[in-house]
Amino acid sequence: MAIDEDPEGHEAAAFASSDVLLAARRVLEIGCGNGRLTKQYAHVAASVIAIDPDAGAVAELARELPMVDARPISVAELRVHAHSIDVVLFSWSL
Amino acid sequence: MVDALRRTHEVLMPDGVVIDVHPTVEPAAVDVGGETVGHVETEDAPQRHAAADAAVRAVVDEGLFRVDRIAHFDFHTYGDSIEELRDYIAANWRAARINDVVMQRTRASLLVSAPGVKPRVRERVRLTLLRRLAPS
Repeated sequence: MAIDEDPEGHEAAAFASSDVLLAARRVLEIGCGNGRLTKQYAHVAASVIAIDPDAGAVAELARELPMVDARPISVAELRVHAHSIDVVLFSWSL
Repeated sequence: MVDALRRTHEVLMPDGVVIDVHPTVEPAAVDVGGETVGHVETEDAPQRHAAADAAVRAVVDEGLFRVDRIAHFDFHTYGDSIEELRDYIAANWRAARINDVVMQRTRASLLVSAPGVKPRVRERVRLTLLRRLAPS
């Protein structure tokens, strides 16, 4: 028994076609969940702050991607410096 | 939603971008072998997705961002069985379910499908690239 999400890679292809370079960028991901999308780019980004109110999902992400600054918070609780992020990613969360 | 987008305008670099990925208002379909046999029932998904679209339009109208690019894709979630998909959606989606009629149609379709065909849920998803602008 297994759930298989986007095995064709349509989401990754859409990102690739958007011409947005996440490599060496400071990324803020909003609604990261357990990091399904984060895993696709975290290894090339300069830094990643990933937030989601679901503490359990964020803990899962933090275990798997220790290089990510994973925070179990909402946007309203977010504290980051102004003009410090290159790319904001709303991950199925808007 | 608009507040979240306004907040991102504050934290972004002057040439920063927002990538918004969310489903369109099109109902999520249940497919077998590429054929749609029904749809996922939801309480408010179309309204939520329409509200997200409206939030994007609002910050564009406010002059905070401009739309650089829009792309669409199908996001597929496969299960080994329709029961597995039903349980997954009930546990992981907000106020959504595969009802009994769609369950029966899916089982019937699987019975006459080629071996190895798996049921899937198909969501139409929009990716919008927003470029930050300085407020005028």
